[in-house]
Amino acid sequence: MADPLLRLDDVEQSYGDERVLDGISFEMDRQDVQVLIGPSGSGKSTILRCINRLVEIDDGDIELDGDSIFTMDENDLRRQVGMVFQDFNLFAHLTAIENVTLGLKHVLDMDDEAATEKAERQLEQVGLLDQRDSYPAELSGGQKQRVGIARALAMDPKLMLFDEPTSALDPELIGEVLEVMRDLADQGMTMLVVTHEMGFAREAATDIMFLDDGRIVEHGPPEQLFEAPEQERTAEFLERLTALHGGIHG
Amino acid sequence: MTPLEPVALLSEDWLFVLRNTDYLLFGLLWTLALTATSLTLGFLLGFPAGLVEVYGGRYSKTAVENVGVVLRGTPILVIIMVTYFGVGLSPAFVAATIALGLRSAAYQAQVFRGSIQSVSSGQLEAARAIGMSKWDGIRRVVVPQALRRSFPGFQNEFTIILKDTSIAFAIGLAELLTRSYDLFVQRTTAVLEVILFVSLLYFIVTFSTNRLLDYLEGYVAIPGGGR
Amino acid sequence: MADRDRTPGGVLKLLAFATFWGWLVVRWVNDWTGGILLPVGEPLLPVDTITAIGATFAGTPIGGFFETLAFIAPFLPRLAGGVWLTVILTVGGIALGFVIAVPLAATRVYGHYTRYVALAYIELIRGTPLLAQLFVLYYGTTLSIVIRELPGIGQGIVPPQAVWVALIGFTINSAAYQAEYIRGAIQSVDPGQLRAARAIGLDQLSGIRYVVMPQALRYAIPGWSNELIYLIKYSSLAAFITVPELFNRANSIASSNFRYTTLFVTAGLIYLCIVLTASNIMSRVEDAVAIPGLSVSEGR
Repeated sequence: MADPLLRLDDVEQSYGDERVLDGISFEMDRQDVQVLIGPSGSGKSTILRCINRLVEIDDGDIELDGDSIFTMDENDLRRQVGMVFQDFNLFAHLTAIENVTLGLKHVLDMDDEAATEKAERQLEQVGLLDQRDSYPAELSGGQKQRVGIARALAMDPKLMLFDEPTSALDPELIGEVLEVMRDLADQGMTMLVVTHEMGFAREAATDIMFLDDGRIVEHGPPEQLFEAPEQERTAEFLERLTALHGGIHG
Repeated sequence: MTPLEPVALLSEDWLFVLRNTDYLLFGLLWTLALTATSLTLGFLLGFPAGLVEVYGGRYSKTAVENVGVVLRGTPILVIIMVTYFGVGLSPAFVAATIALGLRSAAYQAQVFRGSIQSVSSGQLEAARAIGMSKWDGIRRVVVPQALRRSFPGFQNEFTIILKDTSIAFAIGLAELLTRSYDLFVQRTTAVLEVILFVSLLYFIVTFSTNRLLDYLEGYVAIPGGGR
Repeated sequence: MADRDRTPGGVLKLLAFATFWGWLVVRWVNDWTGGILLPVGEPLLPVDTITAIGATFAGTPIGGFFETLAFIAPFLPRLAGGVWLTVILTVGGIALGFVIAVPLAATRVYGHYTRYVALAYIELIRGTPLLAQLFVLYYGTTLSIVIRELPGIGQGIVPPQAVWVALIGFTINSAAYQAEYIRGAIQSVDPGQLRAARAIGLDQLSGIRYVVMPQALRYAIPGWSNELIYLIKYSSLAAFITVPELFNRANSIASSNFRYTTLFVTAGLIYLCIVLTASNIMSRVEDAVAIPGLSVSEGR
């Protein structure tokens, strides 16, 4: 059995006096799709940001492909881990294709031709090649997020982190993004996804983690959490979530 | 006095102005040159200062902030006297450029600080997330957007410097206002006419440069709004 | 006292301000009343003592500091006299400018034909150098002659004619800039505010007075702050129309002993103290009248 791709070992993190992560431990194998759920403030986004060191942890360790992320160069780490943001964070002054080639040219040192080719393939994969010369302000929310995914994928990461990728989208635009994510999962990308989209979780996740108050309350396959949750808190949260969202998005 | 004589007198003063137009226009040239050099110096020092104020470490930040307070809190007249008579920089054009340029740097630092801070922090985060160093991210993602947002502040600064070149009067630099003074002391009845003419010149320069900057702003703007 | 005053740095700052203004007030009162503490023009600082301290540390930076202080001390009374005029010109300019600026801004926003007159005035004044405006008033009109003839000018505590001309110049200038700030502030207020006011039955004037203006005036505070600081610094231009304010005095002293750097740095420090005081006061005012959620705009 190969080493896990990602390993968190008793990770602790505080923001000022407030304890955000209180001993988080879990592993992810290659091609796993893990979904993180939990109430706001439970630390879900923080876990993602600790993995690519946008936030520094106070205690514990994180390993990527067997190596502690604290022994490698920060920028090297981030080349191997892709991140998709809730607010898209597309580079506002660049076109869609330039958003993708920026990293290729200036982080991976590709030449212009090779970078453009790769970027075009990436945009095609998310269905946006025809928008290559559009600026972010000219794109819809769903299109922006797909460009964001293309931008992260272009770096050929080992692991993709998704931080509530559809939370800022109008309902009718959520579907197109989830479709891209599902395809990605089918193609074997290792993904860690923070989301409220239970439909996606049910269909695509290998495992679901329920986080509350900085701790993992329950961690298991979708069938377990949705049908027979071990913890009462899990059941309560899921009930409230489905009631709030009035059903599950495809 | 017959009713016609006041009119004749007025024309005489205007004729005086018209005879000396080239003298004044030469002064305008000096004014424009001084404005250009000071604005440029202000940018070359002010932009890095703005970056330091946003991204700098504790000591560099404090140093830059304090220098800025002094430069913004002291009258430009005092600064120019120190550079010319005190430090002894010469010729007067150099002293004036240094004085106006340093002060402008302090104000431009504030403009840039504001525009850098107005670029959403998510932009830099996204740049780092794909493996860019912080410095590269600032250079390729934050700065291009910040510069575009600095246009209004920069236009404002230009207008201020253009008018403040008149301070060089104090050190005898033959710019537009100094030459106006030289003229109307020759003919004290023509003060109003000279100043009105000169005001027109300042006006034309301000108006056309602002329109030019507006055009430039539109040209480099990010399609769709980019905010 | 705000929280920031309770820190050691804050206390030090307050002490510094108190010393600065204390010195000025003592100096002014003393010299106006013909010298109740000291002979008029006699420095408050004990020059001999300071010279002595300087001598004991001769050759070191500390010694140098005391030497310079001893050199400056005899000139401080004259400089303080200049500061008085700086203060008058600044405070007078901004206050009188405000009186003109409010109707000017109102005309600019609400007038029909008069708005173009207001616009022309504002653009003309804002588009030309202050120094040019002062020259026009002083050399180009008979204003200084007329004022000189008025009873009481230049006698006792009443400032001489040049000061009045300068004051008029600063007023005219400041009015134009303040009008722009006020206009911007009025236009920053959400039009929905006035609509809501009318909807509950207030008439246009009362709506402006009780709903628009209180918000607009708060938006205008940073503009005023800037304007105040601007006037403090540019009052120095009055020197060119013979007003004996701070810069003028520093300049004439420097021309006589050629210690330009020393004199101008001293003058600069004094200006800086005045500017910092004004800045400090204005931010307290801003804090004091702040309404949660209502934020602000820019300046000159």
